[in-house]
Amino acid sequence: MRVVVTINMVALNAYRRDSFSHPTLALTVVLALVVWTGVAIWLYGRRSTRTPALLVADLLIAAAAIGVTPWLKSESFNATLPGFWVMGALLAWAIHWHWKGGLVAAVALSLADLLPREAVDQGNYGNVFLVLIGGPIVGYMCESLQRMARERDAAEHAAAAAEERTRLARAVHDGVLQVLAMVQRQGAASGGEWAELGRLAGEQERGLRSLIRQQDTVPARSGGRVDLAGALEAMATAHPVRVEVATPGGAVLVDEHVGTETVAAAKACLDNVLAHVGPGASAWILAEAAADMITVSVRDDGPGMPPGRVDEAAAEGRLGIASSIRGRIEGLGGTATVQSGEWGTEWELSLPLA
Amino acid sequence: MVRVMVVDDHPMWRDAVERDLQAAGHEVVAVAANGREAMARFPAAAPQVVVLDLQLPDHSGVQVTSMMLEHDPTARVLILSASGEQDDVLEAIKAGATGYLVKSASSAELIDAVTRVADGDTVFTPGLAGLVLGEFRRIADGPADDPRDQLTERETEILKMVATGMSYKQIAARLVLSHRTVQNHVQNTLRKLQMNNRVQLTRWAIEHGLDGNA
Repeated sequence: MRVVVTINMVALNAYRRDSFSHPTLALTVVLALVVWTGVAIWLYGRRSTRTPALLVADLLIAAAAIGVTPWLKSESFNATLPGFWVMGALLAWAIHWHWKGGLVAAVALSLADLLPREAVDQGNYGNVFLVLIGGPIVGYMCESLQRMARERDAAEHAAAAAEERTRLARAVHDGVLQVLAMVQRQGAASGGEWAELGRLAGEQERGLRSLIRQQDTVPARSGGRVDLAGALEAMATAHPVRVEVATPGGAVLVDEHVGTETVAAAKACLDNVLAHVGPGASAWILAEAAADMITVSVRDDGPGMPPGRVDEAAAEGRLGIASSIRGRIEGLGGTATVQSGEWGTEWELSLPLA
Repeated sequence: MVRVMVVDDHPMWRDAVERDLQAAGHEVVAVAANGREAMARFPAAAPQVVVLDLQLPDHSGVQVTSMMLEHDPTARVLILSASGEQDDVLEAIKAGATGYLVKSASSAELIDAVTRVADGDTVFTPGLAGLVLGEFRRIADGPADDPRDQLTERETEILKMVATGMSYKQIAARLVLSHRTVQNHVQNTLRKLQMNNRVQLTRWAIEHGLDGNA
């Protein structure tokens, strides 16, 4: 940019050479400014020489170049000798010291321009006005850009660190899971006390695996929405019945209230399994998420129950299942249906998404 | 007897799996500790079934799966995974693996799975069935002009039952179908998923100008 404004300055002065009262001196000044432009470009290019002293010198030279104009041209001159060339110094200040630098440089150049003049016309005023406005604004924008760049760097750094932590955690977890699975396997084969140890290892393994899966979906938790898949997983891990949870992969986001009630209803299903089938029962939970509907299925491998059992119980005044499962889901505008057979009992909880 | 290759970076696991398979009368034709070794030994060993740990040190479980199947489409890949990492499992299945077990499965379950996979059957865990259902749901919710195959109602119904832990036998009894029909339906879901994956890859390639006409 400096090169462009320098060429502009040289060309304009060559064109207006008749207006100079001292052409030789003016030529010297123009040549000096051209030399300084080269030097400045070289100095600004190196980090070690990009010092405040350089910026001050740059501005002083620009101001001086404006200031000497009256002695070179006639007293009632129109355009200053450097003209737009001073832009280089102004922008350097704005970039380096932001809006304050831009303002100081703009004021200094304006004074240098206005003071030697005999009369200030509308054109002069316009130029000064633009310089005073432009300097601070360019500075302010530079500051914003630099701040944004810094913030982006910080965010990238944080993301990289988090990713690395996750990777390490995965490596550690994977190792622990391998060992737990191994203990479980060999324990079951050895029998006796070892089998008990193996069973314990199996419980821990399932717990840890479920924790890792919940961890995967944690960042999705925001703005009053919760991850239903993770919440079901957490509830199932804590439940005394042995439960396997199948999810669609990734987070299933629902409103906090919907999440709490649905998990409570699913837990009521499991409590029911514990009460009717016993602690040796196995259960499965499947969560499905369509665009407009969430379905949670809970199945056990018990002997099943006769059809109409739930309605009978409700009619007899035992409202346990009716209120804790149906009541909750219907309260959310959904439906809870139960099916039973030789293959066990299955609750299907369907919730519309508003 | 099935010719099996075991790929796992934990020697203790590799040995245990090898012992169990041999005790059941299968032949372990090769073992490998990482993706590079696995790819180097696979062609000469020509196993019918590869028991593959998804968490290999060179992070190559999915890649190894597709490379092996490209080399020998008749081979079967059974994924064994400790942590059940969802994305990786789904990716490996899309790449052509036809079975998935968590490592805590008992040795009887493992041997049963190897035999079934060798017969061309698919081995699903409830967790995998949930993931596959979720994937088809995402395809269904995608752009309407997407040419990819959807599941039929029957296939969805059966997959839901697999996801809630029902065996093929229980499903057959509940739906009054033959065991073989249930097996076919489950196999179809995987076939569709793998075909959809190829369609998606092709679309991606065309969109990115990699189809050779760009």
